[in-house]
Amino acid sequence: MSIFEYNGSALVAMVGKNCFAIASDRRLGVQLQTIATDFQRISKIHDRLFLGLSGLATDAQTLYQRLVFRHKLYQLREERDMKPETFANLVSALLYEKRFGPYFCQPVIAGLGDEDKPFICTMDSIGAKELAKDFVVAGTASESLYGACESMFKEDMEPDELFETVSQALLSSVDRDCLSGWGGHVYVVTPTEVKERILKGRMD
Amino acid sequence: MDLNMNLNAPHSMGTTIIGVTYNGGVVLGADSRTSTGMYVANRASDKITQLTENVYVCRSGSAADSQIVSDYVRYFLHQHTIQLGQPATVKVAANLIRLLSYNNKNMLETGLIVGGWDKYEGGKIYGIPLGGTLIEQPFAIGGSGSSYLYGFFDQAWKEGMTKDEAEQLVVKAVSLAIARDGASGGVVRTVIINSEGVTRNFYPGDKLPLWHEELEPQNSLLDILNSSSPEPMNI
Amino acid sequence: MSKSVVEMPPKGGFSFDLCKRNEMLSKKGVNPPSFRKTGTTIVGLIFQDGVILGADTRATEGPIVCDKNCEKIHYMAPNIYCCGAGTAADTEAVTDMVSSQLQLHRYHTGRESRVVTALTLLKRHLFNYQGYVSAALVLGGVDVTGPHLHTIYPHGSTDTLPFATMGSGSLAAMAVFESKYREGLTRDEGIALVTEAICSGIFNDLGSGSNVDVCVITKAGKEYLRNHLQPNPRTYTSSKGYSFPKKTEVLLTKITPLKEKVEIIEGGDAMEE
Repeated sequence: MSIFEYNGSALVAMVGKNCFAIASDRRLGVQLQTIATDFQRISKIHDRLFLGLSGLATDAQTLYQRLVFRHKLYQLREERDMKPETFANLVSALLYEKRFGPYFCQPVIAGLGDEDKPFICTMDSIGAKELAKDFVVAGTASESLYGACESMFKEDMEPDELFETVSQALLSSVDRDCLSGWGGHVYVVTPTEVKERILKGRMD
Repeated sequence: MDLNMNLNAPHSMGTTIIGVTYNGGVVLGADSRTSTGMYVANRASDKITQLTENVYVCRSGSAADSQIVSDYVRYFLHQHTIQLGQPATVKVAANLIRLLSYNNKNMLETGLIVGGWDKYEGGKIYGIPLGGTLIEQPFAIGGSGSSYLYGFFDQAWKEGMTKDEAEQLVVKAVSLAIARDGASGGVVRTVIINSEGVTRNFYPGDKLPLWHEELEPQNSLLDILNSSSPEPMNI
Repeated sequence: MSKSVVEMPPKGGFSFDLCKRNEMLSKKGVNPPSFRKTGTTIVGLIFQDGVILGADTRATEGPIVCDKNCEKIHYMAPNIYCCGAGTAADTEAVTDMVSSQLQLHRYHTGRESRVVTALTLLKRHLFNYQGYVSAALVLGGVDVTGPHLHTIYPHGSTDTLPFATMGSGSLAAMAVFESKYREGLTRDEGIALVTEAICSGIFNDLGSGSNVDVCVITKAGKEYLRNHLQPNPRTYTSSKGYSFPKKTEVLLTKITPLKEKVEIIEGGDAMEE
């Protein structure tokens, strides 16, 4: 068994026109036993920057705490929020520091940068960045997510259409992965507002 | 996978290296093959590395290890030359290599042959095999190809050869080893060091003598296929 | 000595504190994840006025293609570039690290960086980690001493060559170079040969794929031809695309309006002296 299959997870982020969506499943399991069905995998770093952590939940939470700590230090020193690119570099550095004893986490970073330009990025567990223009995926359902997003994604979607696309991609992918599912958690972020929605999904 | 090429194997030099003294100096010789597992990563590498103006070293074993050792020794000898105000002797160079090889014997996997000329002792060859021993020898052979050469050298090496005799011996020996050892190949490089200075020579692979059952060099695989009578695809 | 309660940002270097736990996990049969690799074809050659580097653009994680258009030709200095193969994080980290050391060295000396400097810094780092930092590099550049091309292996050994290939597609690419390379190629011939070698990797090696990136470095400057050739365009896109009726079942919606960005316009000459 791979360590990623211990808790199970599915994460996806997609770019739209001046907006982005980041979505995850809601299951937390210990191998095949489900522990929670309202687990938070995506967290807000600041208003326009979100971080999803797939993989081993204990490492995800530790890493999240360290990242929030470093981001707050940055805010105090610089009196501004981090740009998504900067934050991605921070995450990458933190992960690569543990190159020979990694956190078992694959992060997904999504944010709005300068002039509301959406930025999405994923990494492997030792911080190799993958900057994509369209979508990024992570977690145990990543293989089916790749396929779903590859066919469903369109350029320059408006927020509502983006929400439907990302939700459908997520739900159809987690249905083929027994380690993730139990609904979805979707954030659609535009320059003016954050829309957080909880999706209904299969409960088996 | 059966045909495991193992490209991740450490870069190493299955090698033939030789150092020979003659009356007036030394001749160093080496093949030019560097391989990673089954793949020839470099077919024209230079395994005879300069340490100072008058001292050279032949490297065998792990490429990374032998490079780092010779880089350090070159650096130390440079300092030493400046402090002394005159060229370093071959013995000093060999001793520095021995020091590094011995102190780090658990980390290093390299055998080296140092050769050079200095005004005190003339031409000298030192062998420093795996554990970090230092042996002064009239001739030294090393690398995977050397096992094919011990008997040959016992027979062919003579005290007080001329420069040309010594170089011909080295080229012949390396080409013999290339013919038998799969990990040695490519070209033959020689370095001659004596009181007059240093001469580097290069013998391309297709100009080397042919030994038992060796074939004439061909320009292309197509030449061989065309020359043989049965069509290759009809077999 | 009391350990500080608040964990402060570390000064650098690797941290090994999760190694024991991870070792325990893998003993229990829980395998660590595979890292992102650039199962790669990277090449370089010397032509009449400089160096040309080339790379494919596929990144893989096991059998999955996780990036179809990644950049494998990394910046080292304005006159030096470096292709990376091996574990993606390692090639990225090692080239970034050395390129900033080179930048500092340039500030210190006020001179253009030399390729041997980059080579020494890279091989020293890789040798120190005894092959555990798995980066296989093709380093190329033009400096005051002319054009240079080197290959660097994960264990820290280096070669100096007129033409070089690395990565899982290196055999396919080397076959092209061995049959067609000659001295004194022109710029266009050089680019064509590099492209052909990379294409040979893309089509014959499963670890390599997608597009061809080329970087030409001459005395006069560099030219980075990103996606110089795209031999694998997407053919299966639906022209209309998929669209969904708005009927994903939503249980709960929470809308947070974001604060308007406050633009501060400096009033008059308040800041002037």
